[in-house]
Amino acid sequence: MSRELLAPEGLRVDGRRPPELRRLLTRVGLFAVADGSAYVELGNTKCLAAVYGPKEPRTQSAQLHDRAVINVEYNVASFSSGERKSRTRRDKRLLEIASVIKRTFEPVVMTATFPRSEIDIYIQILQLDGGALHAAINASCLAMIDAGIPMSDYVVACSAGFASGTALLDLNYIEESAETPALTVAMLPKSGKLTMLNMESRLHLDHFKDVLDLATEGCKSLAESLDEAVRKACKTPRPI
Amino acid sequence: MLIGASERDFITKGVESGIRADGRGPLDFRQFFLETGMITQASGSCRATIDFGTDVLAGVKVQVGDIEGRVDSDEAQADGAMVEDAGAGDDAETGAQSRGNVGRVVCTVECSPAAKSVLDAREVDDMCNEYSQILTRTLNGPHGGLDLQKLCIIPGSTCWVVNVDVLILDYGGNVLDTIFMAVRGALHNTRLPKATVEQTDGHFEFDISDDETEILAGRESVPVAMTLSKIGTSRIVDSTPLEALCSAAQVTVFVNRAGNVCGLQKSGKGSLEPSILIDMIETGVKLGTELAEKLDAVLDREERDRLSHIEPTGFR
Repeated sequence: MSRELLAPEGLRVDGRRPPELRRLLTRVGLFAVADGSAYVELGNTKCLAAVYGPKEPRTQSAQLHDRAVINVEYNVASFSSGERKSRTRRDKRLLEIASVIKRTFEPVVMTATFPRSEIDIYIQILQLDGGALHAAINASCLAMIDAGIPMSDYVVACSAGFASGTALLDLNYIEESAETPALTVAMLPKSGKLTMLNMESRLHLDHFKDVLDLATEGCKSLAESLDEAVRKACKTPRPI
Repeated sequence: MLIGASERDFITKGVESGIRADGRGPLDFRQFFLETGMITQASGSCRATIDFGTDVLAGVKVQVGDIEGRVDSDEAQADGAMVEDAGAGDDAETGAQSRGNVGRVVCTVECSPAAKSVLDAREVDDMCNEYSQILTRTLNGPHGGLDLQKLCIIPGSTCWVVNVDVLILDYGGNVLDTIFMAVRGALHNTRLPKATVEQTDGHFEFDISDDETEILAGRESVPVAMTLSKIGTSRIVDSTPLEALCSAAQVTVFVNRAGNVCGLQKSGKGSLEPSILIDMIETGVKLGTELAEKLDAVLDREERDRLSHIEPTGFR
């Protein structure tokens, strides 16, 4: 590790304590055409999500006779990171993330309510500073609620990592790129069930429990903030 | 999207008698909002929103690149950031010669599925492609406003490439005009790192400053777009998606602050009579100049906010 991620005083590179989330800002319902939309800002990571549907599928072959199909499009703006990157829609990495998000929502959305229809989730990352995946899931969850799509629970995601013998919550870009083990989980806060679990590096099983516990703690705290955002959005009158 | 025959008739007759469904006059713009600088990772950014309509985010990212139009023999002489002779470009063919000391602007337009509720997927792709080309052509042209020579770092080899990426986030008609507003705002907001060139025994070397920045030269002369749609026998500005469906043809006039026409583009399936064309262009120039002045007032205010460190609201 080239850089010390945890200072001797117990503070991280951006001045947070290990079990501390970044500042969360949300906005529900910002677009007119989309059925539901939301914006999530986690520290310097900024993400927009828009939901279209349930609607008639564009192609007949895409429909299922007993439930709705969820489609996810995940895009990263080319000006979002330090270096300019132009990514095509065919980028394998983006397609993989899109399918992870799709699988995260499938068990929660009551798709059987809308047979032979489709629900499109469009995600646009505007600025990247680590934690794009969990910002995207939280934004999608708010947009789904804004669209009025029935779900059995909120889907709240958060990441946690492990460095210098301590579990760290909500990794930023510097921490993510320092090859720390990073675990992203998506949780249903009511039942505590996990719908997504994603880790792409090595972590000793003894530490895994701590990291997982911290990530679920983070999810619970985010769930409260998201719930607050939804309640606030419901009380705000909106033009038709 | 399809439109019913009676609704089409309602809109057309309305426009012909100077009335529109949302209460505007034929030459009234919807209220628009502009904010700059919400994407801190970008060199410049701007979001332009029409009230309950189109929402466009433009991000500018500058990077050091090779000067275009350099012929291969020059490339063989050039080695990394250093060039043997600054005048090497002069030997090249005339096209390369004239472009030997200018930077360039590269634009792309991408669209969210919002537009797909109105247009079909292929039309959306065509629209994005067309708008990317119009933007790139206008900003690189002689009347694009930006001083492209100032973007040159080492003549004949290295220059700044200004990448303008536009995202159409929400679709509510009059997309091209909104894109130009957002791009103008983003270019106004852009800060270019200061590059210093040193010459040591015929070799050029440059250094990019970390903290010193400069504005884009000529940013105030970037043109705005003003689209007039012909409906029936009359014309309107800032059409809604429904009005756009009733429109036979559109003329977009690109005008800078001084009121000079920087470009013209006719689009749509119908045709135009020469008499109405002249009227549309003249109206476009007049309204475009007014729009540019209005934008400048907003951008000046944004600039003052930036200097007094007021954080932009962004999307929240």
